[in-house]
Amino acid sequence: MTVLEAIPEKLGIADPWVEKGGVHWLPPGALSVRELAAIMNGCHARFVTITAYQLPGEEGLCLEYHWDLDGQLLGFPFKLSGNSIESIYDLCEAVDWIEREIHEGFAVEFTGRVYVPLLLRQGDKPGVNLREEGK
Amino acid sequence: MSYKIPMGPYHPALEEPYKLDMICEGETVCDANLHIGFNFRGIEHLAETRNYIQVIALMERVCGICSNIHTLTLCQAMEQLTGLEPPPRALYIRVVMAELERLHSHVLWAGIAAKLMGFKTMFMTCFELREKVMDVLQAISGNRVNYSMNRIGGVNRDMDDPLAILSMVEQLEREMVRTVIPIFTTSTTARSRCAGIGVLTHDKATSCGVVGPTARASGLPQDLRRAAPYAAYSEMEFDVPVEQAGDVRARLMVRALEIMESCRILRQALTKMPPGEFNVGDGKVVFSTGTAVSRVEAPRGEVMYSVSWKENSKNPDRVHVRTPTFANMPAIRWMVIGARLADTPLIQASIDPCYSCTDR
Repeated sequence: MTVLEAIPEKLGIADPWVEKGGVHWLPPGALSVRELAAIMNGCHARFVTITAYQLPGEEGLCLEYHWDLDGQLLGFPFKLSGNSIESIYDLCEAVDWIEREIHEGFAVEFTGRVYVPLLLRQGDKPGVNLREEGK
Repeated sequence: MSYKIPMGPYHPALEEPYKLDMICEGETVCDANLHIGFNFRGIEHLAETRNYIQVIALMERVCGICSNIHTLTLCQAMEQLTGLEPPPRALYIRVVMAELERLHSHVLWAGIAAKLMGFKTMFMTCFELREKVMDVLQAISGNRVNYSMNRIGGVNRDMDDPLAILSMVEQLEREMVRTVIPIFTTSTTARSRCAGIGVLTHDKATSCGVVGPTARASGLPQDLRRAAPYAAYSEMEFDVPVEQAGDVRARLMVRALEIMESCRILRQALTKMPPGEFNVGDGKVVFSTGTAVSRVEAPRGEVMYSVSWKENSKNPDRVHVRTPTFANMPAIRWMVIGARLADTPLIQASIDPCYSCTDR
């Protein structure tokens, strides 16, 4: 069994990977993002980025976490309940800037971390750049 | 007593604006904070207001040096959403453009690094060579900066005589072997300014998630051209140079060796280029609903585009760009800690940062 094939079992997810749009996707189910980050660290996967986007209507936001495992791009979509999600900065140093950018662009709160402004200048407000209310 | 030395946002050592606040004890840097955002243009937001033709032109302007890579990555993502597959000749032309761009970027960086070392004659030599690469790019695309080569389903221009380009590549390779690489790798000036300076350890490179030559100079053998081949890279033979030291010299060595590998790839792509069409489709494309992700090994490292589209929509729903410098820049903090203040301009330049890419 390859490392990739073993990941769903490690995560306790029954569904297999779905390869679509250049990514191996796995819905995380009840798994928290921190549990996921710990397992990705254990697999020596490289963190790539988080893509945030707004879902239609009142569905809120979705964050897609991406890791690279030996050239294969893994994707884990997390639909946000409310406007916050746990930060994984203490588990994965590479996530620092993208968490700050998403906080500023979409007003998402990554709980458990301290923010320092990244792209915002004095007087700017988080969320006014990429977030559109009611889109 | 510690004191703070700000470098930037506007500083002779910086090609573009960003700020590095360094906490120093005497001449030694104890800690540093990075500030970006001075080039923020809201390009990701603008992309949501552009159609599939306009968005290519827009994303080409994310970066002035690796403009071709941005359109290549974007077009690869959009090809997944439209089902249009570029013909083999287009894939080869994409490889030629990508490697010429890598040459141009690496030689440009070598010139800037030479200038920061105080090696002005080398700066002039590198920029003369870079000019020759730009001449080749202009001969192929008609442009020197924003090449407008990529489109959904292929490329916009054919290469009439690929073998004519080959002689230019060979001339460039000869000059690199004769002057640039020996001087950078053996001269006392280059060695004294680069060896043991700005070290990024293997462990720190791993935890920071750095990419491209910065990662390869710290012993991480990652290269998407090898690990996840795109365009026609699966048909090319090349090595991925890796150094272990993690210092400025290692980053310099990796790029010098990559110049040689780029010439090797170019020779193969130009001689083996298959005949036939260089794009498909009649210019009208139909998008299916979904998200597609594409990654490409740019001169500075991995670029990733995530593109979401809704069927029948004129504009993308979301375009997210993760540029290599966005991944590499936070590591500068770890490179400058413990360094002499006078070495910090060269250390920050050693990752070949692009702040326009980072800020978008």
